[in-house]
Amino acid sequence: MKTAETVLQVKGLTKIYKSLFTSAGVKAVDNLNLSIRRGETYSIVGPNGSGKTTTLKILLGLIFPTAGTTSIFGKSISDLSVRERIGFLPEDAYLYDCFNGEELLDFYAGLFGYPKKKRRQLVDELLALVGMQANRKVPFRECSKGMRQRLALAQALVNDPELLILDEPTSGLDPAGRHQMTLLILEMKKRGKTLLLCSHFLAEVEEVCDRVGVMYRGSLVAEGTLQELAGGPTQVRITTDKLQPQAMDAISRMASVVTVEGGAITMGAEATNSSVWTVLEKVNEAGGEVLEVLRPRPTLQDVFVKAIGASAEENQ
Amino acid sequence: MSALLTRLIPLIGLILIAAIIVITRRAWVPALSHSVPSIWRIAGITVAEARRRRVVHTVIILVIVILLSMTFFSYLSPQEQSRMIISSGLTAITVFGILLSIFIAAFLIPHEVETRTIYAILSKPVRRFEFVLGKYVGALIVLAVVTVVMTAVLVVVLLVQARLVPSTPDSVFNPNLGAVLFAAFMNYCALAVLTSLIILISTMTSTTMTVISAFIIWTVGSMQSTFRDLAEKAYGGAKVLLLVIYYVVPKLENFDFRQEAANYMPISIVGGWHAVLLGALYVAIALVIAGIFFNDRQV
Amino acid sequence: MRTYRVSRWSVWLFVLGMLLLQVPLQEAIHKARPDKFSPTRRMQTGSMFGLGPTPAVIASLGGFRTVAADLLWLQMERVWDSGNWFALLPLLDAVTQLDPHFVLAWKTYGWHCAYNLNAESETIVDRKYWLDRGLEILQRAVEANPDSWEMVFELGWTYYDRAHENYRAAEYVRQADKMPGAPSYVSRMSYRVYEHIMDFKNLFPAMQQALKEHTDEHAHQRIVNRDIEWWTKMRDDPQEHRRQIVIENTARQQRALPFYLFPNDPYWVVCEHDGLPSPKGSKVCQACGRPLPQALPIGSSSQPARG
Repeated sequence: MKTAETVLQVKGLTKIYKSLFTSAGVKAVDNLNLSIRRGETYSIVGPNGSGKTTTLKILLGLIFPTAGTTSIFGKSISDLSVRERIGFLPEDAYLYDCFNGEELLDFYAGLFGYPKKKRRQLVDELLALVGMQANRKVPFRECSKGMRQRLALAQALVNDPELLILDEPTSGLDPAGRHQMTLLILEMKKRGKTLLLCSHFLAEVEEVCDRVGVMYRGSLVAEGTLQELAGGPTQVRITTDKLQPQAMDAISRMASVVTVEGGAITMGAEATNSSVWTVLEKVNEAGGEVLEVLRPRPTLQDVFVKAIGASAEENQ
Repeated sequence: MSALLTRLIPLIGLILIAAIIVITRRAWVPALSHSVPSIWRIAGITVAEARRRRVVHTVIILVIVILLSMTFFSYLSPQEQSRMIISSGLTAITVFGILLSIFIAAFLIPHEVETRTIYAILSKPVRRFEFVLGKYVGALIVLAVVTVVMTAVLVVVLLVQARLVPSTPDSVFNPNLGAVLFAAFMNYCALAVLTSLIILISTMTSTTMTVISAFIIWTVGSMQSTFRDLAEKAYGGAKVLLLVIYYVVPKLENFDFRQEAANYMPISIVGGWHAVLLGALYVAIALVIAGIFFNDRQV
Repeated sequence: MRTYRVSRWSVWLFVLGMLLLQVPLQEAIHKARPDKFSPTRRMQTGSMFGLGPTPAVIASLGGFRTVAADLLWLQMERVWDSGNWFALLPLLDAVTQLDPHFVLAWKTYGWHCAYNLNAESETIVDRKYWLDRGLEILQRAVEANPDSWEMVFELGWTYYDRAHENYRAAEYVRQADKMPGAPSYVSRMSYRVYEHIMDFKNLFPAMQQALKEHTDEHAHQRIVNRDIEWWTKMRDDPQEHRRQIVIENTARQQRALPFYLFPNDPYWVVCEHDGLPSPKGSKVCQACGRPLPQALPIGSSSQPARG
């Protein structure tokens, strides 16, 4: 199988913010390594101050690293040809507030050197894509948060980029707004774009991302697909009713059963399907009622908290 | 300054400039085809933004009111009236032009960095020096429009007064339009120099410090002759220091032709032309250094 | 990480080159605009009445000199009507310091001292003092505005009308006449100064010179021709000539009478033959026409007392 091309590569990236008055500095990013393949949706998650936005800013050439290298499409960000192939949605949609959506998109399209006719066409298409056609003449300062984020996404898409970098795309949006934004991101994914996301909203990350990197205090403490991060099989939880104490006692002695408390039977992660069936049959025989059988996977939140916790313990 | 030094210094300067231009031609020649449209786009958005902001309109209205109020000196002789309107009118244009220049230019780049609108631009294929140049060109266009409007109002006031004010053979209301237009143009050139310096300072520091520095530059630049006089009287290290300050600080007095216009003195076109060339040099110096600083600045 | 296609040192060298290039440009500007930048022409300091350079320096900040001069001029206009003539002096002093090219202000200043304050003075010493001040002010005005015919003429007129130094007046009026923009009455004044002292030797050539100027002005030509005719008759008619001399001498003596009290006053030169005073600068005695013993070079002033 042909491996997809590496679109973004970060090696040994370190950023230290030095204070004027002390020789020590704040390490915002610490020896970060990551790579993103073409067509992949990668998300960097982490608590506030973990270095996510700093990493993005270094990638975009807005700030400069203390050590390490970054490359996009095999080149440095200072190469203009790279910037012609990427789009960036900044956090909180920082755009000129005295212009309306049409004017803003026309301006940003102009920065790519598109002629007037093409710009007009692009503006119409993008406004339709983000659902802002009806509000194209509304000044940016009068737009709601959701409208601003959509316009900001539109400006990131003005050059039909191969790599899309989104910093907190759903930040500050209401649930409906978040849902709309998630749909748009999925649409971009469907179109084959490579996406790099930074987000606090783990639920939306779970929905859209292929791989996730968990950052904590400037380092990547966990990385992988959701399945990889979730780990192997998990415990089985069987909720029952009308189970007699003797039956409970007998079930507790069965293979792979960890605990039986009240009506709740917990089986270990090693429990196979057949052993689960065996327990269920036993419950049935004992006259009990099976209410629920669950084998929950850890959520990204669980992974996140676990990874952060582990890293915090390590640092201590 | 000795005659040999006077010839040697500019020669060294010319050789340096020519050498650098030739050596670095492979870098800047291909960049030109991309840079000019980018600079123009950034300038366009700067002008559009200034148009939407109220400060420009407010300044223009204020100046028009001041210029119109200068028709109230009817108790003076025609000669005095014409002098008064010309000198006060040109000074109003100068003062408000400088204020506008400071408040437009000081906020151009720092405001973009503070509101982070610069992120969306620098993530596009726009070089940092193109951004700086584009902002400068945009500011120049705004100042040009404002200067033209204010000068037009002054000219109208002068022409109307020339018709209304009764003149005697000894005392005539002379609008001296040629000199007035020349003085206004030179004033605009001074604003261009001041704007470039404000942009340079704004790439290094905050908005507040930029505004303060701009007022200092304006004040010191208007008193350049004082440094020269002091340098002539000083000796040793103080003389060298004063001469360095004198030659490095931009000399806004070079662009001041208000006295000539108000007193109907002959205008030195040669002096004006040299001042424009000198101003262009200062602008180039300021923008190059601004480009360097901004290139290294972490936003 | 950051790639510069143009190396940093070359950019700084470029900046240095441009800085060096601005030196000769600035020198060229100084040569092209001496009225603004020549130290000998600038009137930054040297107030007549001890005001010092403060108003000029303060108004220099930000380049507000001409507007400050205008505002003070308006204030001067208001004070004028109050009759407090001494209060006008600091205002006029400041106006001329702030804007040395404000010709009207210089004229007013010089005239105010040489005429108003001179006439209002009660003692001869005071009268002489104010006349000297007025002449000194106008002299400074000429230095500050060497291209202004008005200033030169004003100085010449004051020498003629108030100081009665006709030959010095003649020099200045002739100088003003040669300057661009001078009207025809300046031409006529250039010979009237000789009429007053009946110096026919200089009068007729001056009248002929005036006739050659302003040939397109009929009034000027008519007046000069009339004057030539009149003075020719005067010169050729001894009776009339003597009568005019007596009239003029009497008038002149009456004017000079107070100064008989100060025979050693360096303002006057006393004729060795008839003992009558003539103003300093006169080549010949105003009364008898004989050459004066110490003819001082034209242009040297009396000893002005510095304010």
